[in-house]
Amino acid sequence: MLSNRLRLQAEELRVIRGGKEVLKGITFAVAIGEVYGLLGGNGAGKSTTLLTFLGFLDLAGGNARVNDALVSEDVVAARRSIAYLPESASLYEHLNARENLRYFLGLAGSAGDDESMEAALDRVALPAEARDRRLADYSKGMRQKVAIALAILRNTDTLLLDEPTSGLDPTAIDEFHDLVRTLADDGKTVLMVTHDVYGACQVADRIGLLRDGRLVGEFSAPAGGRIDTEAVHRAFSSREAV
Amino acid sequence: MSGFAPVFREAGLLKRDRAFIGWVVLTLLLSVVSVVGGIAEVSKQRETIARLIEGDREDRLEARAKQGDWGGAAYYSFHLTYDPPSNFAFAALGTRDQEPWKHRIRMLALEGQIYERDAGNPVLALTGRFDFAFFAAFVLPLVLIAVLHDLQASERGAGRHELLIATSGISSSPWRLRAWLKAGAVFIAAALPLLVGCIVSGTSMTRSLMAPAILCGYLAFWSFVSYRIARRERNPSVILATLLGVWVMVGVVGPAAGKLVIDHQVPVPQGADILMTQREAVNDAWDLPKEVTMDAFVARHPEWSQYAAVDRPFEWKWYYAFQQVGDQKAEPLSLAYRESRLHRDRLAGWFAWLTPPALLQRSLQRIADTDLRAHMEYEANVRLFHGQLREFYYGKLFPDAPFDTDALGGLPEFDPGMAAP
Ligand SMILES: Nc1ncnc2c1ncn2[C@@H]1O[C@H](COP(=O)(O)OP(=O)(O)O)[C@@H](O)[C@H]1O
Ligand SMILES: [Mg+2]
Repeated sequence: MLSNRLRLQAEELRVIRGGKEVLKGITFAVAIGEVYGLLGGNGAGKSTTLLTFLGFLDLAGGNARVNDALVSEDVVAARRSIAYLPESASLYEHLNARENLRYFLGLAGSAGDDESMEAALDRVALPAEARDRRLADYSKGMRQKVAIALAILRNTDTLLLDEPTSGLDPTAIDEFHDLVRTLADDGKTVLMVTHDVYGACQVADRIGLLRDGRLVGEFSAPAGGRIDTEAVHRAFSSREAV
Repeated sequence: MSGFAPVFREAGLLKRDRAFIGWVVLTLLLSVVSVVGGIAEVSKQRETIARLIEGDREDRLEARAKQGDWGGAAYYSFHLTYDPPSNFAFAALGTRDQEPWKHRIRMLALEGQIYERDAGNPVLALTGRFDFAFFAAFVLPLVLIAVLHDLQASERGAGRHELLIATSGISSSPWRLRAWLKAGAVFIAAALPLLVGCIVSGTSMTRSLMAPAILCGYLAFWSFVSYRIARRERNPSVILATLLGVWVMVGVVGPAAGKLVIDHQVPVPQGADILMTQREAVNDAWDLPKEVTMDAFVARHPEWSQYAAVDRPFEWKWYYAFQQVGDQKAEPLSLAYRESRLHRDRLAGWFAWLTPPALLQRSLQRIADTDLRAHMEYEANVRLFHGQLREFYYGKLFPDAPFDTDALGGLPEFDPGMAAP
């Protein structure tokens, strides 16, 4: 069965927020080990899409499935299998990196051992001397790195990342993309929201273009290659559906 | 993982939250201030009583040495009555702030002596002194509101709300535990000084346990209200305003409205009227035929009927008889006064179930024996003691017993626990 290979499915997803139809029936699926980039301008409905997979929003229509199960039927199972990196993720300012990781991992019910925490912070290249400083003293990029480390440490099948590269400098963005590729190669499924066309094309297996609550186009990378930035950019900037 | 892991995790987070720690420290300080203030006031009252007891002994000795007849001895002697503070009174001073807890009474008509202080018609303070009961009833809820109102709103504001829920998997996860821990910390900060105060004051075990238990229930009420309202609303300012509104309603407006209605429903005679009635009766007696007074007296004390004849223009037994008749005249007013005050108090007790701060204050005052019931018991003590004085002197005056200084040693002694059930 095809659907067994799918981690995330949106089927004619409709969401109303604040009296406004924010998602107007979008359909897409993300397979195991796939990196899916959700691209769109401000207010297109990208973050809203991620929130529906976590069961935070009531659906006005359609279905959201995680591992084939309806989110609405078992929201706890959905949340447990997903590591979520919120838009402009803010962890606790008055705690240092390690303390934040320990707290949130504890909240997830898994005791983070020091070794894997250091390893995760190494992977996101957070300077070692910063790890004992409170996040209040961090730059935006450093905070983002800690949040990414947390998502990795959750060790879930699926990662939902909302604008994960915001605040990161170009080098860090490249390193992050490598990291995402490694995770996908390890069988993790990544659904990543961004409005960075170039970045999305670097890392994604597929890209969905979201505009005003509608999925107006999808792009797939050719075998062994990358998605054509040019084509995506053209679609992204045009007013028409692709 | 141990079942306490979440508790340690959240406690660890709270421990680092400076604003919260600030509130806890403030709570601790205010609790200490209220307890220390209460203990100081109570020990001041104890010292006053001790001083008065010493003075009373000297007065009695002096009166005994100076006087040459029973009537004079009775006339010139003062007798101390007092209501010693209980060993929990420091926490809830209650009526000890508004009602007299000591008198120096004479053999004269009594009712006026008891209500002399009431004649000024004191404005009844809604709140009273900053004792522990006041602190707990009015200040603690504000602290709870401050630390609980933005339990979730602060996380929303910081953009962590969804992350916390998504990470914990369960929709209510950290909130309830955090609310419990915060309320628990506030409770401990408030109760600890109280318990130390209990130990210092030698408070009985029952009282020392009952007071924190009641406090715990009270804080549970406020925590529940804060938690529910904070859950329903998103905007922290709206939550705060709503909770402060509840506080004003049940803490200030409710009790004031209740008092207004109860006072209107149950009229209470003025203490001054009792004083006037009795004083007029006593003054009038000088001009009345002596038989009128003696008949009224004998009606109450038939045992002295055989000695009721007054032959000389002035006799002490007649003098004290009209003092007693003055009390008899004021008695219906005095009874009505006491009964209606108790009636009001009973109604206030029922009404307090709608206004938790008042309920807490009343409960603590009940434990501390500083409620109206305890004050009325003291008044009953004073009447009982005054009755004993009368019995003693009547037994000398009416049969016209020869004066005997030594017999004055047999004067009844006031015992604060004499009328206790
Ligand atoms: N909490 C909310 N309540 C009401 N409307 C919201 C809320 N969050 C977002 N919206 C609306 O939903 C639409 C999509 O928002 P969002 O999914 O955050 O867009 P994106 O992430 O693509 O920038 C926007 O028009 C926004 O105004
Ligand atoms: Mg967004």
